[in-house]
Amino acid sequence: MRPGSVGRRLVACLALAFAASAVTVAQVQWPVSGPPAPLPARPVSFPPYQLKTLANGLRVLVVLHHEQPSVSFRLLVQAGAMQEPSARPGVASLVATLLSQGTTTKSAGEIAHLIESAGGIIGTGSLNELSYVNGAVIKDQIDLVLGVASDIVQRPAFAPDEIERQRNQAYSALKVSYDDPDYVADLVFDRLVYGFHPYGRPNQGTPESIARVTRDDLVTYHRTWFVPNNALLAIVGDLTADEAFRAAERAFGSWPRREVPPVKTIDPPAPARRVVVIDRPGSAQTEIRVGHLAVPRTHPDFVPFDLTMRVLGGEGANRLFGVLRTDRGLTYGASAELHTFKASGNVVAETDTRSAATGEVLRLLVNEFFRLQREPVGPGELRGAQDYVAGSFPLTIESPSAIAQKVLAHLFYGLDLEEIERYRDRVERTTPADIQRVARQFLRPEQLSIVLVGDAAAFVDQLKALGFSDFERIPLGELDLNTPSLRRGGTAPAPPVEDPPPA
Amino acid sequence: MIKRALSVVVAVVWLGGATGPDTIIRPTKFDYTMTTLANGLQVVFLEDRSTPIVHLALWYHVGSKDERPGRTGFAHLFEHMMFKGSRNVRPDQHPSWITSVGGQANAFTDEDATVYWETVPAQYLPLVLWLEADRMASLEVTEQKFLTEREVVKEERRMRFENQPFGRLSEIIFDKAFKVHPYKHQTIGSLADLEAASIADVREFHATYYVPNNATIVLVGDFETRQARELVERYLGKVPAGKPVPREIPKEPPQKGEERHTVTEPWPLPAVIVSYHITYDGHPDAYPLHILAKILSDGESSRIYRALVYEKQLAVAAFGEAKLIEHPNLFYAVAIVAPGRRSEEVQRELQAQLDRVKTDGVTAEELSRAKRQFARDYILGRDTVQQKALHLGHAVVIHNDIKTADGEFDLFQNVTMADVQRVARTYFTAESRMLLTVQPRAGEVAPRPTGGGR
Repeated sequence: MRPGSVGRRLVACLALAFAASAVTVAQVQWPVSGPPAPLPARPVSFPPYQLKTLANGLRVLVVLHHEQPSVSFRLLVQAGAMQEPSARPGVASLVATLLSQGTTTKSAGEIAHLIESAGGIIGTGSLNELSYVNGAVIKDQIDLVLGVASDIVQRPAFAPDEIERQRNQAYSALKVSYDDPDYVADLVFDRLVYGFHPYGRPNQGTPESIARVTRDDLVTYHRTWFVPNNALLAIVGDLTADEAFRAAERAFGSWPRREVPPVKTIDPPAPARRVVVIDRPGSAQTEIRVGHLAVPRTHPDFVPFDLTMRVLGGEGANRLFGVLRTDRGLTYGASAELHTFKASGNVVAETDTRSAATGEVLRLLVNEFFRLQREPVGPGELRGAQDYVAGSFPLTIESPSAIAQKVLAHLFYGLDLEEIERYRDRVERTTPADIQRVARQFLRPEQLSIVLVGDAAAFVDQLKALGFSDFERIPLGELDLNTPSLRRGGTAPAPPVEDPPPA
Repeated sequence: MIKRALSVVVAVVWLGGATGPDTIIRPTKFDYTMTTLANGLQVVFLEDRSTPIVHLALWYHVGSKDERPGRTGFAHLFEHMMFKGSRNVRPDQHPSWITSVGGQANAFTDEDATVYWETVPAQYLPLVLWLEADRMASLEVTEQKFLTEREVVKEERRMRFENQPFGRLSEIIFDKAFKVHPYKHQTIGSLADLEAASIADVREFHATYYVPNNATIVLVGDFETRQARELVERYLGKVPAGKPVPREIPKEPPQKGEERHTVTEPWPLPAVIVSYHITYDGHPDAYPLHILAKILSDGESSRIYRALVYEKQLAVAAFGEAKLIEHPNLFYAVAIVAPGRRSEEVQRELQAQLDRVKTDGVTAEELSRAKRQFARDYILGRDTVQQKALHLGHAVVIHNDIKTADGEFDLFQNVTMADVQRVARTYFTAESRMLLTVQPRAGEVAPRPTGGGR
C-alpha cells in the first residue's frame, strides 16, 4: 500500500513518452494545467525545550505541549548489548523485559494493575547500546506512573520464577523469529558485518545463551549500568516546566549515583566480501541484505554520507526503488540506509523479491553500489534528497515526542545541540562532488556482505551465472552464529572478547 | 451464590461511581467546520496552528467489501494505480513532488474505504489540492504501468502474507468465518484474482467509485478556513459529479450453529482462534463490545494475558479484538500455543475467558480500568494532524455523522457493567461461535538454529 518515494527523473521522462498511448479513464474534458504556486511560508524554528541535571547526574529534558491532557516520558539508560557479558547475549534484553515483572515491593501483576488502572502504559526494551523505559498517561496520574518507572528501573526483583517465565517466553519468541526470513536476514547480516563485536550479536540472545543466563548475570549487569548518571529522561506534555522538573526530582531524585566502568570490546572486522545463502525451502520470496561496515554517528562526514545513502535508497531520490519497483515491479519495498551507532556503523540496502527474480535483483542492487562510485550523482537527484531532508523539517517537529527524540539523540551521541538548527544548512551545502568523494572514500562494492534468505534451490543457479559463485549455502536449521563458518558443528572457536569488568 | 454475586455487583457499582467516568479528564474537542460542495464532495476543516504543516486526507468510500467475485484485491490494486499518472501529472510524479517540498504522501485501503493522504509544509496546500483534483478527474494509466504495478502488489502479498510466520492468520480466520459477505476475503486479495484484473477494470472502477459524490476531504493544520475553503472550491469544485454509487453488497446470513475447523500451515507454532459474529461500528452495542475487548485483552492486567500467558503459560501470545467496522464483523481471540501445550487445552481456556463474561460479568474495577485505557488511547491518538484527520474522516465516512468524532468519548464513558455482560450474552452464543485451529504442517516445523554465545 505504501507507494513510497519516486524514481529518477530519467524514468519520469521515459514515462512521459508512454503517456501518449495512455488509456484515458477520465469522463470529462479536464484542462491542462501546471502545479500552483505555494502560499507565503511561515518561518519555522526548533521549538523550545529545557534541560536540567539533577544532583545525582540524571539529565532531564522537558518539552511542553498543552493541546491534549496527557504526559509521556522516555528514560534512556546507556547500556545494551554492548555492555552485556560477551558470552551471554540476551542479558540486556532479559533485564529490560524483567524490569516491569516485579520489584522488591511490587509483583508483576501489581505493577500492571497500577499502571493500567491509571490509564497509563509502560514499555521497556533494549538495543545495541541503550535500554529504555517509556510510557504515557493521562496527565493527572503522572506522579504515579513516574513513581512506578522509577521503582522498576532502580529495584527490579529478578525473582527466579519471573526469570524462568521470561526465559520460556524468549525461547518461544526465538522459535517464531527464526522462522521469519526478515529477522534471520538481519541477524546474519549484522553477524557478517560486525563479526563478534557486540553489534554483531543477536540482541535477543540464542536458545543456548538464554539457557545459560543466571540471576547473577542479570543483577550484575543491572547494578553496573542502571544508574542516574548513565541515563537520560525526557518528559513531554501538558504541564509546566517547573512541574515536570519537580516530578522528575520526586520520582528519581533519590536514585543513587555510581560511576560506570569503561567498555572494552574488540573492533569489528574490516569489510570482506562474503555471500551467504540461508536455505529456507518453500519461501515465497527471498529476503536480501547487502552492505558493509561504515562510520559512527559522530563522524565528520555523517551528513554527506547519509545523503549518499538517501540517493541510493531514501526519500526524495531512491534509485533502488526506481530500478527495482517502479521500472520492473520486482519488489514491494527497496531501501538503503546508513545505520550509525556510538562505536561504528554500517550501510545496508534491503529488499525482498519472488524467488525466481533473486539473481536479477541482486545484480541490479550490487550494480547501484558500483554506480555511486563510478559516476557523480545528478544534481537533480541530490536536490531531491536535499529538498526532502531540509524541507521536511517542519514535519519532524510536529509532535513534542518527536522533538524530545531529536534532542535525546543528540545528547545520547554527545553531539552539539546547536547541530539541530545547523543540520539543514549542512544538508543544503552538500554538493555532488561531496557525494562522490564520500562514495569513493567509504563505499566498498568489492567487499560487500550479502545475505539471501529464501528457497535456495530456486535461485542458486542464477547466482553462479551472475558471478556470485563463491556463495555459502547454509540450511536454516544448521545456522550457528557462533562459529566463523556460520554452520552448526563448526569447530573453530570465536575470537576472544574482553568482558566489561564487574561492578 | 446468587445472593453473594448480587451484593458484589452492588458494591462495585458504587465504587464505579466513585472512581469511574467523572474523574477522567476530557480530551480537547475538535473545533471543525464541514461543508459539501455542489458536486457532492464533503469537506472537513480543522485548524491547528501549532506547527506550520497541513495534512490532507481524501477518503473514497470504496474498499475490498465493494469488490465483485473474481476481483478480490482490486480496490487496493487500484489504489496503486492512482500514483501512475493523470492529465497533468506524470506517472510517479505525485510522490516525487511531495517529497521535493519536504512532505510525505501515501495511501491505504481497507475493507470499507481507500484513503489518500499528504502531509506538507503549510504553504503547499494548493499543490496537494491540485494533485488530488487531477487524479480524481483524469486518471490516465498505460497498460505497461498497470502490468508492472500489478507485479508490485503481488510482491506485497508475498511479503506480508505468504513469507512470514502467521502471515495468513487473518486470511484464514475471515475466510472460515464468512460465507457470502465480502469480508470473507482480505483486502490484498488472491494472486489469481490480481492476475485476472485488467486495465478495463481500472477504467470502470475509477468511473464508478472515484467521483466527488463518493469522496470526503479532511484538512487539518495551519491554514485559515476561509482561504482553505476557497482553494478546495477552486481545485476540486470543478470535478464533475458522478452517478450514484452502487452498494450491492451481499448480506451474511446468520450462522446456524457452532463451526469447527482445523487447517495446517507451515508455521513454527500452532494457533487457536475463538470467534463470534458481532455487530457493526456505530451500533449501540459496539461501545460495550470495545470495552469488553479491553477488559479481556488490553495490557498485562487483562484477563486473556493474565490467564493464558502469565499464570497458566499456555500461550506465547494471546489477544482478542472486537473488529468493529462498517458492516457486522467478528469478535475474535487468538492464542499462539506455547511449546509443549495441547491446542485443545489452550482453545478451551481461551473460550472460557470469553464465555465467563456471560455468567459472571466484569468487575467495576475492570470497567474503570478499561475506560481509563480507552481515554488514554483516545487522547494519545489525537496527537498529530494525521491522527486527527483519521478520526474526523472515519466519523464522516463510516459513521456518516461527524459528531461521533467527539461524541463517542461520552458513549464509551457511559458504558456500564450491565452493558458489558449484556453484549457478551447477546453475541457470545454457541450458534455464532467458530473454533479454529491452525496446526503446523507435520514435518515442516522450522528447525531451531543455534549459536551466538559461547
